[in-house]
Amino acid sequence: MSENPPVIRTEKLVKRFGAVRALDELDLTIATGEVHGFLGPNGAGKSTTMRVLLGLLRADSGTVEMFGRDPWRHAVALHRRLAYVPGDVELWPNLTGGEVIDMFLRLRGPYSTARRDELIERFALDPRKKTRTYSKGNRQKVALISALASDVDLLLLDEPTAGLDPLMEVVFQQTIKEATQNGRSVLLSSHILAQVEALSDRISIIRAGQVVESGTLSELRHMTRTTIEVETARPAGEIAGMSGVHDFRTEGERIIFEVDGERVEDLMHQLAPLGVRSLVAHPPTLEQLLMRHYGEDLGHRSVAEGAQKG
Amino acid sequence: MPETTSGTLPHTSVSPAPTDVAPLVRTGSLLRFMLRRDRIRLSIWVLGIGLMALYFSNAIQVIADGVEELAQMAVLFSDPVGRMMTGPAFGMDEPSFERFYAAGYVLFLYILFALMSVFLLVRHTRTEEQTGRAELVRANVVGRHATLTAALLLTGGANAAAAVLVWVASGPVAGYDAAGTALVAAGGFSVGLFFMGAAAVAAQLSQSSRGASAMAGGLLGLAYLIRMGGDMVEQGGSALSWFSPLAWSQQTAPYVEDRWWPLLLPLVAAAGMVALGFWLSTRRDVGASLVPPRLGRATARPSLGTPVGMALRVLRGMLRGWAIALVLAALMFGSYAESMVDAADGLPEEVAMIMTGDDLMLGYLAYMSLFLAIFVAAAGVSGLQVLRSEEVHGRAEFALSLPMSRTTWLGAHLAVLLGGLMALTLLVGLGTAVGAGASLGDLEHTGSLLLAGLHQFPAVLAVVGIVVALFGWVPRIAGTVGWVIIAFSGIATNFGPMLDLPDAVLNLNVFGHLAQHPVEDITLAPVLWLSTLGVAGLVLGLLGWRRREVNRV
Ligand SMILES: Nc1ncnc2c1ncn2[C@@H]1O[C@H](COP(=O)(O)OP(=O)(O)O)[C@@H](O)[C@H]1O
Ligand SMILES: [Mg+2]
Repeated sequence: MSENPPVIRTEKLVKRFGAVRALDELDLTIATGEVHGFLGPNGAGKSTTMRVLLGLLRADSGTVEMFGRDPWRHAVALHRRLAYVPGDVELWPNLTGGEVIDMFLRLRGPYSTARRDELIERFALDPRKKTRTYSKGNRQKVALISALASDVDLLLLDEPTAGLDPLMEVVFQQTIKEATQNGRSVLLSSHILAQVEALSDRISIIRAGQVVESGTLSELRHMTRTTIEVETARPAGEIAGMSGVHDFRTEGERIIFEVDGERVEDLMHQLAPLGVRSLVAHPPTLEQLLMRHYGEDLGHRSVAEGAQKG
Repeated sequence: MPETTSGTLPHTSVSPAPTDVAPLVRTGSLLRFMLRRDRIRLSIWVLGIGLMALYFSNAIQVIADGVEELAQMAVLFSDPVGRMMTGPAFGMDEPSFERFYAAGYVLFLYILFALMSVFLLVRHTRTEEQTGRAELVRANVVGRHATLTAALLLTGGANAAAAVLVWVASGPVAGYDAAGTALVAAGGFSVGLFFMGAAAVAAQLSQSSRGASAMAGGLLGLAYLIRMGGDMVEQGGSALSWFSPLAWSQQTAPYVEDRWWPLLLPLVAAAGMVALGFWLSTRRDVGASLVPPRLGRATARPSLGTPVGMALRVLRGMLRGWAIALVLAALMFGSYAESMVDAADGLPEEVAMIMTGDDLMLGYLAYMSLFLAIFVAAAGVSGLQVLRSEEVHGRAEFALSLPMSRTTWLGAHLAVLLGGLMALTLLVGLGTAVGAGASLGDLEHTGSLLLAGLHQFPAVLAVVGIVVALFGWVPRIAGTVGWVIIAFSGIATNFGPMLDLPDAVLNLNVFGHLAQHPVEDITLAPVLWLSTLGVAGLVLGLLGWRRREVNRV
């Protein structure tokens, strides 16, 4: 049997907007059935990548293939196999949420109304309200429901949880897991590490239009450092000397320090005998991570972009 | 398009507003903030009005060589059609440059004052709430009436500044009589305040800024229509004129009777509406509207599942709005047919020998068909702007992520738009015919009036074609060029002969080439080449749209 082409493959993909190189030789590969976390700060080029993948923007140079075909030239055929949730979902203000969902599902092909209704129920969306009255989170739900209820091979999700509350984020994660069990591939962009961590098989980190790291979560472990605040029954001074522990300090009863991703297990063995009374662990933010590994410069573009999008 | 806010808020803490803050706290800071954000738009509006006044008041003195020539041109304003377009035409039996200015041009300044007021007030109140920025502002220590007060001060100030410029342009610069000039400026100010009040009320009633602008703008349209009807009946206006806020300022009869008291009407009405606006704003929450949003359908009708179904929902509201306005206008214009026959009685004998009352009436109806067709084309341009905003707001991008080709998307929207414009053309023709039939008491002209309306469609198609071609290749300027074409068509059609424009310029008027049915017989050539131009534009636009990037700002 011949091997399937990757669902998405870009090589040295360049996209310029005037003087700005929004994508600067971007390499990205996503295999069939994979959930790929696409992680980068605001203005890094995530949405631009999605638009090139959809054939809405044209690559300036480099290769881009979806299911082995050029998205600029075969957009319609490719779109039969994918569903897209835009980063800034804008809907038709005079339609209700339910109408938008139905319109999208029908234009995409046959679909199950039972599945649609189930998703509306799970996302707790009122489909009878005009979309002009929806919050950003509700508009995102509309796009998500219409994408998840479609029978497609690939989901392109551009920061799909940015407007969802924590409860809905859980629903989102469940539904994505179900979708992947049915063999779908997912490209999931975000600027928050924790959001992609929970779902992704592989993660690519994009910064100033370039993929700077790519791999499975455990391959990226070396990059992460967890901040730990712990209160122990017995003195815990010895922790400070462990390899992989940084910035050790004491605040009243608690000790606070950072530990490398790959040393977490060792640390737990050391801590347990000391009698842990309370323990808080903060995952690193993407910004901390990028800062630590690539210095201060997150790309100047991110500043303006971040301010604009708030 | 997401707007970037230049300037920072005066206060940035986000603690919830204490409930005991005085209602006007921080009005000053808000006003400064608005001025800063709007310094360019505001200057364009105010200076624009000033420049228009400068142009109008001085151009007449260049166009007409002397009082005799003025007297000939005065007929343009004082005949019933002229009065419909520009107003009651005071003092046209003894025209002077300043009277000519007041009778023929000042109305357009007044309309600009009104549009500026609606635009500024809605922008700083309902638009802010719609985008959620108002919530940020209200979270600071800001009184609950502060935003509306600041927006009113801003708008009122802009009107005052524009009025001063109008005064400078017509008085000291053009050298017109002081009392009349003061009235012209005060008239503009009063119209501005009236529509500021209307916008303050509309901003409370509607939940979207578009809805609020449409409400206040609709009132302006209504005021214009009522004034048309009122002023056309007799010189100096009739009782009907007095129901139009635009007419109130004109009834001051600048440079003729110079009466101030009519201005009391708009000022009192403005004060009342502003008070109503404040009162209504206390009866609702931030971001909410007084007209409660209704629940709609949970599932879509089957028709929505096709590209054309989608396009229909995108364009339906806009087409419906134009249809209502234009059919009302057509009915009204049609119903003046009888007065045109009567007006012929007053014509000098020499003219009456070559022109019967019927000729005059049919000429008038031919002119009305042309005039309304320009509005149908305007509907076309605004429909294409709806498409552009589909693109800019990312809805086109979202729709194109479906297995729907670019051609299908644009084709479906254009099919709906052109179908709608065709229906509008027919409805307008029908409206004119029914209005004329009712006033004349017989329906003998129905067929020819329908045909007269339909006959204008190639010109509408040509305008749409040009704008679609631009949408495909240079989308950024498409809307602007579209409106320039409409404005030019309007000016060339209404004032072309009077402005003494060279033929080369007049030939650029898309609407200047078709025969004036029913007074003239239809000639095929312009019908054919205008249609060809239109279709070529559509094809070109589709080709451009297929190969250009979507929403590349
Ligand atoms: N249509 C456009 N025109 C000009 N510049 C753009 C356009 N779209 C994006 N950019 C720029 O490209 C860069 C990448 O933007 P984007 O892909 O939206 O980033 P992200 O989605 O990761 O936040 C930014 O610097 C942005 O300002
Ligand atoms: Mg983005």
